[in-house]
Amino acid sequence: MHTVKLRLRTAAAAIIAILFILPLLWVLTSSLNPGNDFLRYLSPLSVESFVPLRPNFANYANLVQGDFGRAILNSLWVCFVTVVVGLAICASTAFGLSALRFRGAGIVFGVVVLSFLIPFDAIAIPLANLFRDWGLQNTYTGLILPGIGNGFTIFLLRQFFLAIPRELVEAARVDGMGWWGVFTRIYLPLSRPALVGAGLTLFLFQWQAYMWPLLIGTEPAKQLAPIALANLQGQFTVDFGQIFAGSLVLTLVPMILMLRFQRHFTQSMTTTGLKD
Amino acid sequence: MRDQQWLVALAFVAPGAIALVLLRVVPAVDAFLDSLQRTSVLRQTTSWVGLQNYVDLLQDPGFRQTVKVTAIFSLIVNPIQILTALLIALLLHKVLPGGRVWRAFVFIPVAVPAAVSTIIWGIAFQPNGLINAFLDVIGIGRQPFLTSPQQAMWSVLVMLSWIGVGYWMIFLIAGLQDIPASYYEAAKVDGAGTWRTFVNITLPLLRRPLAFVLVADTVSNFLVFAPIQILTNGGPENTTRLVMFDIYNKAYQVGDVNLAQAEVVLLVLVMAAIVSVQFWLLNRRGVD
Repeated sequence: MHTVKLRLRTAAAAIIAILFILPLLWVLTSSLNPGNDFLRYLSPLSVESFVPLRPNFANYANLVQGDFGRAILNSLWVCFVTVVVGLAICASTAFGLSALRFRGAGIVFGVVVLSFLIPFDAIAIPLANLFRDWGLQNTYTGLILPGIGNGFTIFLLRQFFLAIPRELVEAARVDGMGWWGVFTRIYLPLSRPALVGAGLTLFLFQWQAYMWPLLIGTEPAKQLAPIALANLQGQFTVDFGQIFAGSLVLTLVPMILMLRFQRHFTQSMTTTGLKD
Repeated sequence: MRDQQWLVALAFVAPGAIALVLLRVVPAVDAFLDSLQRTSVLRQTTSWVGLQNYVDLLQDPGFRQTVKVTAIFSLIVNPIQILTALLIALLLHKVLPGGRVWRAFVFIPVAVPAAVSTIIWGIAFQPNGLINAFLDVIGIGRQPFLTSPQQAMWSVLVMLSWIGVGYWMIFLIAGLQDIPASYYEAAKVDGAGTWRTFVNITLPLLRRPLAFVLVADTVSNFLVFAPIQILTNGGPENTTRLVMFDIYNKAYQVGDVNLAQAEVVLLVLVMAAIVSVQFWLLNRRGVD
C-alpha cells in the first residue's frame, strides 16, 4: 500500500480504537481515585480522568468488605458449575445426536432446534413463575439450571462432532471399545477447540446474566455480582469509586478469558456453516 | 442388541433433551396457556377467556407505545450497528502497524456485561459526567441525555453500540479474510476502482456473514432489558419503553401476569420467525 494511504489508515484505526477504549480507561482511572474524587477531573476535563497519577486502592478494599465480595464469589461458583455440568450435558447430547443412530433422534434434534428458536430472555419471565412453583427461588440450583441446557451449544458441538471420521469410530468399536470410551477417548480429545468455545459461551451467559438473577434470587446472601453492582448504584448515597472498582472487576474476568480464547470462540462460531 | 444400542443413545441424549424441554419448551407452552386465561386476584379465580388478553393487549395504549418504540429502535439501531461494524472491519482487516492492538481495543468492550456498561454509561451521561465534560471542551453546551425524551433513546443506542460493534466486527473481519486475494488482484488488472471492487467483489462475498450478523443483531436488540430497567424505567415519557421492559413491568409492577404472558407469546413468535432465518443461514452449507 502507498505510504500516505497507509498512514491515513493507521491514524483512522488508532482514533477509532482509542474512542472505544477510552470509557474503560476512564473507569480504571476513576476506580483508583478515592470515593467521588473522579468528579474533580471532569470539570474541567483533565488528563487525570484517564491517567491514574496517584493510584489509590481504597475502593477495592471497601468493595471486597461489602456485599460485593460475596456476590463475586457467588458469580464465580454459579459460572463454574454451569460450565462443568453444562459442557458434560451438551457434549453428551451432541455425541448422541452425531455418533449414534437411533429411533427418535429426529425428535431430539427437533427439540434442540425448537429451543434454539426461543431465546432464553424471551421466556425468562414464564420460567421464573415455574421456578417459583417448583421451589427453586433463592437457590443456587435456580440460578444455575437455565445455563446448563443450551441448544446453541449442543448444535455447535454436534456440527463439530459430525466432522470426526466414521472409520475412527468403527475401528474402535471393532477393537471392543464401548460407546462411553468412544465419547471420552476419541470425541472429547479431538474436539478441544470446540469445547473451549462452548465452555466460554456457557461462562459468558452466566457471568453477564442480569435479568434472570433479578427474577429468581432476591436473597442478599445469594446475590450475583451484576445485581450487587446495580444495587450499589441505586443506594441513597452513591459511592462511585466502589461502583467503578466493581465494574472493572466484572469486566476483567471475561476480558482475560475472551482475549485468551478469542480464536477458539470465533472459530467455533464460524465453523458451524458461516464458512464453507 | 438393537434395544441395548437404543438405551445407550437414550442415556447420552436424555439429560440435554430433558433440560431443553423443561427450560425452553415448557415455559413457552405455559406462557401460551396463561395467555388464554384470566386470574382475578380479588375473587382468586382463574377462567379461560380465549383470545381476550390479546384483544386487550392490542387495545392498550401502553402496548401500542411499546410496539412503536421497539420498532423504531430496531429500525435505527440495527443498520447503525451493522454499518459501523462493517466500516471498522474494512479498516481493520488489513495489515496495519499496531493492527492487533487497535482490533483488541474495539473488541474489549464486548467483555463488559450489559448491567456494567449500563451503569458506567449512566454515570458518563450524568449532567456532570464524562460526556458533558467532553462537550465542554469542544464548546457544545451540556446536554440532558437520559432525562430528555428526544435524547434518551439515542443515549441507550450509543451505550449498546459500544458493546455490540466490536462483536459483530469480529465476524465480518473473519468473512473479509476469507475472500481470496486473487479476486482483488483480478479486479485491479481490470482497472476497477475502490468503490466498484467493494460493490462487485467484497459485498457479494461477504453476504453470508453479513446476513448472520443482521439476524443475530436484530435478535439481541429485541431483547434489550438491563439499560432500561436500571437507567430509564421506560421513560422519559415512555420513549424508551422497549418490549422486554414492558413485559417485566406488566408482570412485576402492574401484576397482570396474564397480559404479560400474552406479550411473551407474541415476542416468542416474532423471535422464532427471525431465528429460523438465522438457523436456515447457519445450516445451509456449501449450497452456492
